[in-house]
Amino acid sequence: MSATTTTSSRRRRFRLLALDMNEIGLIVILLLLYFGFGATTNGFLSANNHLSLLRDAASIAIAAWAVTLIIIAGEIDVSVGPMVAFTSVCLAFMLKADVNVALAILAALAIGGALGTFAGSLRAYFGVPSFVATLGLWSALRGMSFFTTNALPVTFPANAFLDILADKILGIPTSAIVMLVLFAIFSFISQKTAYGRSIFAVGGNANAAELCGINVARIRVLIFTTSGVMAALAGVLLTARLGSGNAGTASGLEFDVIAAVVIGGTALSGGRGSMLGTLLGVFVITLIGNGLVLRGINPFFQEVVRGVIIVAAVLANILVTRYRERRIFGA
Amino acid sequence: MQTARQQDRQTLVAAVHNATKQYPGVLALDDVDFEIHQGEVRALLGKNGAGKSTLIRLLTGATVPDSGEVTIDGAALTGSGTQRTVESARLGVRAVYQELSLIVGMSIAENLFLGRWPSSMGVLSHGEMEHQARETLARLGLKLDPRRRVATLSPAERQLVEIARVMIGEPKLVILDEPTSSLAAAEVALLFKAVRSLAAAGIAVIYVSHRMSEIRQIAEAATVMRDGRVAGTVEVAGADTAEIIRLMLGHSEQKDRLVGEARGGDTVLSVRHLAVPPKLAGVSFDLKRGEVLGFAGLLGSGRTELLRAIGGLDAVRAGTVLLDEKDITRGSYGERVKSGIGMTPESRKEDGIMPLLGVDENTVATDFSKVAVNGVISASKMAEAAGDTIRRIGIKTARIDTPVGTLSGGNQQKVVIGRWIYAGSRILLLDEPTRGVDVEAKSQIYALIRRLAGEGKSIIFVSSEIEELPKVCDRVLVLKDGGFVQEFVAPGIETDALMAACL
Repeated sequence: MSATTTTSSRRRRFRLLALDMNEIGLIVILLLLYFGFGATTNGFLSANNHLSLLRDAASIAIAAWAVTLIIIAGEIDVSVGPMVAFTSVCLAFMLKADVNVALAILAALAIGGALGTFAGSLRAYFGVPSFVATLGLWSALRGMSFFTTNALPVTFPANAFLDILADKILGIPTSAIVMLVLFAIFSFISQKTAYGRSIFAVGGNANAAELCGINVARIRVLIFTTSGVMAALAGVLLTARLGSGNAGTASGLEFDVIAAVVIGGTALSGGRGSMLGTLLGVFVITLIGNGLVLRGINPFFQEVVRGVIIVAAVLANILVTRYRERRIFGA
Repeated sequence: MQTARQQDRQTLVAAVHNATKQYPGVLALDDVDFEIHQGEVRALLGKNGAGKSTLIRLLTGATVPDSGEVTIDGAALTGSGTQRTVESARLGVRAVYQELSLIVGMSIAENLFLGRWPSSMGVLSHGEMEHQARETLARLGLKLDPRRRVATLSPAERQLVEIARVMIGEPKLVILDEPTSSLAAAEVALLFKAVRSLAAAGIAVIYVSHRMSEIRQIAEAATVMRDGRVAGTVEVAGADTAEIIRLMLGHSEQKDRLVGEARGGDTVLSVRHLAVPPKLAGVSFDLKRGEVLGFAGLLGSGRTELLRAIGGLDAVRAGTVLLDEKDITRGSYGERVKSGIGMTPESRKEDGIMPLLGVDENTVATDFSKVAVNGVISASKMAEAAGDTIRRIGIKTARIDTPVGTLSGGNQQKVVIGRWIYAGSRILLLDEPTRGVDVEAKSQIYALIRRLAGEGKSIIFVSSEIEELPKVCDRVLVLKDGGFVQEFVAPGIETDALMAACL
């Protein structure tokens, strides 16, 4: 028995590095995409394009970390894109009114958190399906952004701090650094904290989690709060990069985010998933998008490709889950 | 009257001859003969696993016997798979199960004709459907508007609609599986009226139930099953309850008791006049330190409702729950958990385990803080805590992080109990802890319960397998008609006396 205990705890200690089949598969796909585009597409391997890849990845990934938690809990958040746009517009208005930059950023994050909390509360305390609650936000926030800005960019005076966010630190885009730091934090939260493990418990069997004394409603609210804050942070970085607040920005981002999470092997039915999977999923989405642009594929057709990839990924995910469950639980 | 009945008697509706069905490790039916005639209401009784369900499944065609023959309305069932159930349905066999199968968003009429809606060229003819539905309801003596949505009906009315549904398409044999278990006493009369209409129309009815008072009102004869055989068929009018109990239990001796003299220290949990409508009218009892207290009662007697109310999962209409003389009646489930109450649910799969998580995480989920250092879960502490629980409870698992969904039912149940041992609960509310586990695991769970009681834990043990209560309980309370009707104290808790109190 003591032997069992040691091996298991050793395995768990290194679980952050341990890869499962799905992740190995994704790495293979990533390598194929990278070298495929590298060999056939001009400019793909340039240093500039690598920086742009990292920036694009960051814009998806920062929101995707939180959405991974949401999907593991068996919920969904489709409000990411409009949430990014709305917080970006809010931030721009505040900066235009000469609010202190730190204060304005904190306020933007708080707005995101409050809106997420609202959606989460609808789910947790009133039983509104999270798809509907966040779909409402999706429409309301996009509309609010256009309404308050008249669809015009909101500009603000140049700001040293935002310039740092838009720029590079030691040659790496600041947003990519933020992305990686948050990756570490979210991996840690999901694996090593009661909050993180409770999310897995709720997604695996909410009734059982409730009977264990886990506060299921609070978990359900908190994941949406987290998601709102992360979308707002993505909005802050985007505002810094664009130098203005734009109502129409981040259009369709929610689909890239959900696709990345699902490609990463997180089960839409809840209870299973990982941050590493999402990181790989983000890079798959980013590489495909970037490669198609560089190859000059019609932007409208890129949307078609994206749709096909999302459905194919979900299909693959379902097939893998089915296979795994048959193996684990028997036929 | 007598001659008319004799006439009917000669018309055999369904017959099972020399039927045997073997499942891995269980002989579910052992050379069973069963006959039922037109217009007859037959009660079917037996303990869990006596073979009632298998017999019903033979008649509906859901199960093919290994040997023997099933004849419906003179024709032997020959098909296999779904073909056989279709065949049986075509010959007129209908079954109504405990779990209702109505679509609540649709009208009564639409439910009655579910999937066979009267239509012309693909367009539903609502008028025709409602007309036929009204006739069917009237035949059962039901005054329900067929246009009402099922969502607006009471549980009893829904049960009646289920029965009305089987009337569509000339049934010959209707099987009702514990139809009153979800009904309040007043609603049972409505059901009986419908059953009598069925019989008057020449339909044979098999009525699975263990409530003697109901059986006496509705059935002429009762067939009792035991260990896969028909133990006997008796005329209800001439049979006393003791004879039926003897047929159900056989001459079983209580040799594997784990309880000698009833034990128990100071009172830890005190329940006074607890009311949870509609099932519980006002229930009082005390639970002592180190005591195993059993709740006996038939399906639908309110056992689970009582446990959930004590655990704080359901709202209490009236009464008090005192823990160490402190009133916790209005406290939430979470507060009760913190003060030392742990509950294991009746349905292990739906409410008990988190199948994808390991034994370790399923165990520590009741209190992550015990394995965390500064809010960070420590892998070594978790392994230690889980390993400790696994050893104490005797859980068989390859590794501590094996997904619980892959373990056997018995080991899953031990995990569900073990998480409260880990959490340090003093009071355990165990709802059907031996349901769906094998014989060996059952005796391990009995032994575990006694050991925990010996360590000073207080345990409420709810079971629908009446013969396991005398094995482990210091005291058994029998729940019936909304309250406790009798108390049994060890030693000297006899299964047949317990059962007599339940029926």
